[in-house]
Formats: sequence, structure tokens, C-alpha cells
Amino acid sequence: MEKQPPAWSRLLDLSDKALAVLLLAPAGLLLSLIIVYPVLRLIYTSFFSLSLTSGLPAEFVGLENYQLMIEDPVFWETTWNTVLITLITVPGALVVGMGLALLANLPFRRQWPVRLSLLIPWALPLSFAGLIFAWFFHSEYGVVNDVLSRFGIEGVIWFNSPNLAFAAICLTIIWKTSSFMALIILAGLQTIPRSLYEAADVDGAGRIRQFFEITLPLLKPAIVVALIFRTITALQTFDIPFMMTGGGPGTSTATLAMYIHQNTVSFLDLGYGSALAVVMFALSMCVTVIYLRIIRTKE
Amino acid sequence: MSQVTASGPQSVLSGKPLRLIAAAILLVNGMFPALWILFTSLKTEAELTVKPITWLPHAPTIANYLQAFSDQPLHIFLFNSFMVALLSTCMTLLVSVLAAYALARLNLKYRGLILSAIIAVSTFPLVTLLVPLFEIMRALNLLNTWIALILPYTVLSLPVCTLMLVSFFEGIPRDLENAAMIDGCTRLGALFKVVVPLCAPGVFTAGILAFVNAWDEFLLALSFNSNPALRTLPVGIQLYQGEFAFPWPVISAALVVGIVPVAILIVIFQERVVSGLTAGGIKG
Repeated sequence: MEKQPPAWSRLLDLSDKALAVLLLAPAGLLLSLIIVYPVLRLIYTSFFSLSLTSGLPAEFVGLENYQLMIEDPVFWETTWNTVLITLITVPGALVVGMGLALLANLPFRRQWPVRLSLLIPWALPLSFAGLIFAWFFHSEYGVVNDVLSRFGIEGVIWFNSPNLAFAAICLTIIWKTSSFMALIILAGLQTIPRSLYEAADVDGAGRIRQFFEITLPLLKPAIVVALIFRTITALQTFDIPFMMTGGGPGTSTATLAMYIHQNTVSFLDLGYGSALAVVMFALSMCVTVIYLRIIRTKE
Repeated sequence: MSQVTASGPQSVLSGKPLRLIAAAILLVNGMFPALWILFTSLKTEAELTVKPITWLPHAPTIANYLQAFSDQPLHIFLFNSFMVALLSTCMTLLVSVLAAYALARLNLKYRGLILSAIIAVSTFPLVTLLVPLFEIMRALNLLNTWIALILPYTVLSLPVCTLMLVSFFEGIPRDLENAAMIDGCTRLGALFKVVVPLCAPGVFTAGILAFVNAWDEFLLALSFNSNPALRTLPVGIQLYQGEFAFPWPVISAALVVGIVPVAILIVIFQERVVSGLTAGGIKG
């Protein structure tokens, strides 16, 4: 006997086109509410003077917020810090991640300890990593100064000096992000056929030459994808410096994301906060466009 | 070692001692920070201020854990984090399963364009949306609710999960669905009765990614929820810090409590998480 489908399910027996619209609608609605409309709204608000603390109604001021920004030394400092963090931690995480991936690719009998050692840093919240490393770099009771003193090096007060605080933040970010980089590179390494290395052995190529002539070129696609994503997330750096130094001393370790947060949530200056965000959005979109180009040429 | 082996770079590089050193480096790098926090959480305040510092706790105590729960409502932070993460994970999965099915199966005209848009969205800096989202949540009266976090967190994981699920769905033979439809299933029925169960491991992996993303998020949780009863764990942990004092053992205990749930997920599902992350998830 043929089983009749229930009436409601026949109602849902739509054409492909109607079904596609129906299935994509929830995602589309959510993306419109949380991304598309806010972006438009962001650009719009950036042309207004809108401060919730002043009690004044929103007033159209044209490019005034942007002009303020150009004259604002804190904007330039936080942007420079963001760019510097990106320039240091992205290559840093790549080098460390590559090292970890090469180690993890050795023929271990048990794989789970290797996987765990790469997954735990990835799953650890950024804000937790910031707190944990703030404790590591504690001037009196931190483990970093303790290890240094065992080598006869006098410990330093990491968070009193802009440069040292910046270094501590970068080291923390590199630690936190290199494991993910390693996972992506490791996946790439495992797709390289062993026979290529065997052939290179026969030809008498050394390990280092094999790395530069076989491993690196074949890993390039995985590395590029990982690098661009890391760059985009590095531009958004917030949690780790916020937890470790709160941007201090002064504003020497504050990032653009922290400055946006401060203007928005602490000062409730939505107009200026929006103008700052538009700049960051533009920076990030540039990287994304490059990314999409590369992906498309790869396909 | 007594065994005689051919020497040369090959045997040295793949030898057992090297593997042991490599494993040690990997484990110390990956585990040390979490372990150190565990050690700190078991020390007394007195032991913490001894110089030179001790590494292992001499007289382990759970006092810091008790204090972590009594100084601040840690159980409420945990509950909020858990519920927000769970609800946004469910929403992400539901929405991305539907979207991924359309993209994987329905021969859409603008498929490439939609996929590009999804990738573009996944690179989107959430912090730039702080002002407009703040305004939207304020206008909708959603500040200081779970929903103010659940909606953005759903979108945060949506692109990655959708892309992952598209590749999983494409791996399921169409014949299985066709057979189900001949048996009287609708397409949607076939999706939920045949495709999703067959892709259960993939759907599950996507769910773990979404959960970890939501569990970790800090900026929006910090900005949208000022009500103490709604604070999530990353935001709540800040509150242990007094104006002048920084009770490290208690903070460490709170951190351990916050790390354990996700660590358990990772330990149980490590293999799947790695394959999921490298297959589709490219966000870290």
C-alpha cells in the first residue's frame, strides 16, 4: 500500500525556485538584520553628531566626524597599534604555526595528544588567554620572570613600559593563534604525497631543500587562506590587550577596536564611534576583496 | 640504544628521541598555560606570594573554587554562557542546514554569488557593527536580554557552518533522497529524514564550532549586557578584579571552571573538530 504524505507536507511540495527562496530566507533575514542594515546604518550615522551623553538631538554634520578623526592623535595611535599588531603577530603566528605543524606531522603512534595540544589553545577564549598571560607576565609572581631569573636575567615590570607591554601582548596573540595556523598547515602537509619526498631522496636533495622546493610550494594555498583570515581577525584585536593592559600604559597598547568600543559604550558618542568603525570596515573589506580574488583564481 | 641503525639525517630526523622531544614541545606549548592556571587555582594566597615562586601547589586547596562561587555569581555566569551558546548553536544549525541544502542541491542560478557573499560576511569585523547593533538592540528593547547576544552569535557562525554543511551535503548521493521522495517524502521531509541524519557527524561538528564561537565571544557580551544577572562568563570573570587587588588564585579558579566545559567537548570530539575546522572552518 502506498502511504499518503500528510496534508501539510504536500503544502511544502514546492517548485525548486520557491523552495530555494524559502530555505534561504531565514539566513537572508538574519544577515540583513545583523549585517546589511547595520552597515548602511553605520555609514549613515557617521555623518551625524550623535552623543547620548550630550542630550542633544542628532544633527547632520557631514564629514565633521571624519575631520575630527584625522586631527585625533588617539585615532592615529590606536590605528598604528592595530597595524603593528597585525604586522607582527600574523607572520609570527605563521612561523610558529609552521613549526608546530612540522612537529605534529611526525609519525606519532598516538595522534590524540597532538590534536589536543593544538585544539586547546584554539578553544580557549581570547579573553581568558589575555587574563592567563597577564598572570604569566606578572612582575613579581609571574612564571615568565621566574624562568628568566633562572637564567640569570633580571625580571622586568612588563606592563609599566609601553614597549614591553606591547611585546607581551604580541607574544600572547602569537601563542593563541599559532595553533589554529598549525592545524590548517598540518592538514595541508598531510595531503602531500610521500612519493615526492622519496623521489627527492633518490635525487639526493637534503631535508632543507625538500622543505623549500616541495613542502612550501604545495602548502601555499593553505597558507594564503590562513594568512588572510588571520589578518582579518588581527585587525579586530580587542580581547587580549583589553584583558592584559586595558590599553595602557596611557593608550600605548590600545587598538582601534578598543577605541571604537570606548567611544561607543563608555562615551556613548555614536557619531564618532561610527566614523571610526567605517574606517575599520573599509580596511577589513580591502583584505576580504583580495581574499575573494585569490579564492576565485584558485577555483 | 643498542640497536644499530644506519646513520644519516633521515634516521636522526625520524628517530624516536626526536618524536619524544617534538611531543614534549607540542604538549608544553598547548597545555602549559591551562595547567599553570590550574596549579595557581589550587594554591593558597600565602603560597602565591612566596618568592621564588613555587610551581606545583604544595598543599592543594579547593578554597579558591568555593570563593569564586561566593564572591561572584559564577554559576549564573556559567548558566548564561551555556544558554546563550546553546540557543545560538541551535539557531545557527537550523538556519544553516536550510541554506546549505538549497545551495548544495537546488541548482541555483546565483550560487557562486551567494557563496562569495557568505565568505565576505564571514570575514566581517563584528566590532564595526557595535554602534548600529547597539542602536538596533536599544530600539527593539533587547539590550540586557539573551536575544541581544543570540542573534549576532547566530550570524557569527552562520557562514562557516553553512559552507561546511554545503560540502557535507554534496557528499551524500542524490539517489538516497530521490528514493525517499518516491516513498512519499517531500523535499524538506527528505532533507530532515535522510540527508541530515546521514550528515549527523558533520552537523555535529558545525554545532561545536558555533558553540565555541559563542562561548568565547566577549566584546558584544561586554557592550550589550550591563545587567549583572545576564553576564556571560568572559564578562563576569572581569568582576573578580577589585579596584586595587587582583585575587589571582580566585580568578584562576573561575577561569578553570570556564575552561572545563569546552575542554570536555574538545577532548571527546577532538578528531571530528580537527577535520571540521580544516574542512570548512577557517576562522580563528
